[in-house]
Amino acid sequence: MHMRFAAWRAQLTGYAFISPFLLGFLIFTAFPIAASLYLSFTDYNLFSPPSWVGLEQYRTMFTGDPKFWKSLRVTFLYVFVGVPLRLSFALLVALLLNRASRAIGLYRTVYYLPSIIGGSVAVSIMWRNLYGDEGVINLALNFFGLESVRWFADPLAALWMLITLSVWQFGSSMLIFLAGLKNIPPSLYEAASVDGANPIQRFFRITMPLLTPVILFNTIMQTIAAFMTFIPAYIISKGEGGPLDGTLLYSLYLFRRAFVFYDMGYAAAMAWILLAIVAVLTALVFFTSKFWVFYETKED
Amino acid sequence: MLVLLAVLLTAALAACGGGSKSDGGSGGGSPQHSGSSSGNTSGGSSGSSDSGSKAPEPVTLRMAWWGSQPRHDYTLQVIEMYQQKYPHVKIEPEYANFDDYWKKLAPQAAANDLPDIIQMDISYLSQYGGNGQLEDLTPYLGTIINVDHISENAISGGMLGDKLYGFNIGVNTIQFQYDPELLKKLGVDKLDDNWTWDDYYALASRAKEAGLYFDSGLRPEVFFGYYLRTKGQHLYSPDGTSLGYDDDRLFIDFFAPLAKLVEDGDTPTPDVKAQVKGLEDDFLVKGQQVGIWQWTNQFVGLQQVANRPLEMHHMPGPNRKQGLYLKPSMYFSITKNSKHKEEAAKFIDFWVNDIEANKLIKGDRGVPVNSQVIEAVKPTLDPALIKVFDYVAWAQENSSPMDPPDPPGAAEIIALFKEVTEAMDFGKLSAEDAAKRFREEANAILAKNK
Repeated sequence: MHMRFAAWRAQLTGYAFISPFLLGFLIFTAFPIAASLYLSFTDYNLFSPPSWVGLEQYRTMFTGDPKFWKSLRVTFLYVFVGVPLRLSFALLVALLLNRASRAIGLYRTVYYLPSIIGGSVAVSIMWRNLYGDEGVINLALNFFGLESVRWFADPLAALWMLITLSVWQFGSSMLIFLAGLKNIPPSLYEAASVDGANPIQRFFRITMPLLTPVILFNTIMQTIAAFMTFIPAYIISKGEGGPLDGTLLYSLYLFRRAFVFYDMGYAAAMAWILLAIVAVLTALVFFTSKFWVFYETKED
Repeated sequence: MLVLLAVLLTAALAACGGGSKSDGGSGGGSPQHSGSSSGNTSGGSSGSSDSGSKAPEPVTLRMAWWGSQPRHDYTLQVIEMYQQKYPHVKIEPEYANFDDYWKKLAPQAAANDLPDIIQMDISYLSQYGGNGQLEDLTPYLGTIINVDHISENAISGGMLGDKLYGFNIGVNTIQFQYDPELLKKLGVDKLDDNWTWDDYYALASRAKEAGLYFDSGLRPEVFFGYYLRTKGQHLYSPDGTSLGYDDDRLFIDFFAPLAKLVEDGDTPTPDVKAQVKGLEDDFLVKGQQVGIWQWTNQFVGLQQVANRPLEMHHMPGPNRKQGLYLKPSMYFSITKNSKHKEEAAKFIDFWVNDIEANKLIKGDRGVPVNSQVIEAVKPTLDPALIKVFDYVAWAQENSSPMDPPDPPGAAEIIALFKEVTEAMDFGKLSAEDAAKRFREEANAILAKNK
């Protein structure tokens, strides 16, 4: 009896210690998730209490809302073009920064800078101005004798603005790539050189295979992040996703449904569909990973 | 992360909504409200104002409005003035620009945490009023809010059914504001008082040749609404469950010529307009555009920034008188969840009736509704504002009663308008297809009000 009480006491002490996290998690994560799941089955305009409509929101989404599909198309384009570009760029810069040089510390800092200020409002506003009719990008195009592009007039051109912004913020994946590169034992390269492998062969036969776990990690993280991109689209299109819905990323449409049209039930349903999409894609990447990811440790 | 955030947000809101339900039932606001409306003639309200003068308890009011910096500045001054006059009242301001204002207000409504006094727009009046967020102001008229010098007409602009959900704090109408010097470049010295839409198209089509834009387009929900009225039709049906006009020809006749002006380069394309950051780099201000279609109260700001003589002109006809209307440019509403409704009403009374306060307010929120205030304030105004006051006075005699407040869902209709007109202006959608698409989608939105 006494023993049991002591054990219980010890447990309670434990819970007390983790209670800040536990409360935070329950109040700010678990409960909201549950509530949003419930709301996705209701019609809720913020003013009158939610009313149960079953699967109606999901049905509307898939059968009666062309905008939903449009925003999905825009988002997939953004993710499947943007993420590979961003990762390639990050890898390229990581390779450059992996070389020994006296000023390497400075370079690393400079190349990482855009990612620190990356997702912010200020950068998006700057991006808007860069791509303006009289912005730097068009001035540069004119300098090389090319025609100005009206970036805000064409849905695809406008999406390119967003994609280039995301490519420019390659810093965090670059750091992880760099760490991965540092982990590759120099002895492998030395042995390859002795065997007469040229730099390109060394890259594709040694660097790439040994880097695949890092590539997998970066792909998953960046894909998830890209699906949830919101701020640049919101700022660059002034919250409307234009021109002609060209920058109507999924999160932006979700936000508009919720806070411009007061359609909370629909927005909650959209959030769950996004979660499902990201989960399925992540699972797919994981599933295929056994065909292309090479774990050194397995060989031992 | 963002999914989580979205999930979180919606859920947090739901939580607040749930909480508010029980609140309302158990007693916060509603009994107080039924009390004051039952003692509607004199009993309740005058009694409490007596006790207020004996030993005023300190009261904190929250007040929210939208606007730009000049408006924030003078509104804060008026609040300061009020607090000096009534030291027991402290007013906490909450202000934002128009778009952000409504994004902030809706969650507050869900949480039953709306400020005591909120600035209200006609396109949201039925959404907030109809959903029980706003207090009926009828009982306060004549008891706390002095309406001796305010016309019945001005007050009724805030009615929704038989309830007064917003107190009109300024009168507005629509017009064409322009730079007479730039107009001369098109070979015209003066606009015809009785000009028609055809005159307008003909004149505007000369703009490109002169190296100018003629205007920056017409906000569809406002000016198509006016156009429909000149044809004896309305944008919304009286019950707000569908569009109010049946013939898509009207849509086509109005929008096709406007899209043509964009195509010909006489008015700017949507992407060019999207790059205008504010009044400072507006094409009219920069001397590259002849005029602009907008509300009378916006004339002053435009004149200030442009800093050269601008003129105002009537809307095109035919049937201008039938189409033109005076509109409350904005309201002050008292919210249902306010704990100090009478104090809030006293502030509204001060706002609309105090002459010194209105010397600060001027005409920024529309021409004041109190005729005495107009008389007292007018001599102190600069010429641009006097023009606005005179124009609204003229319109009083030359307009027809306005349509009822926009139905719920108006925000969505406005977004839809923007979408289809943008597609037309980019040449991606014909006026015929736009008319059809607008009708289908707008009716689907409005059908939710059934």
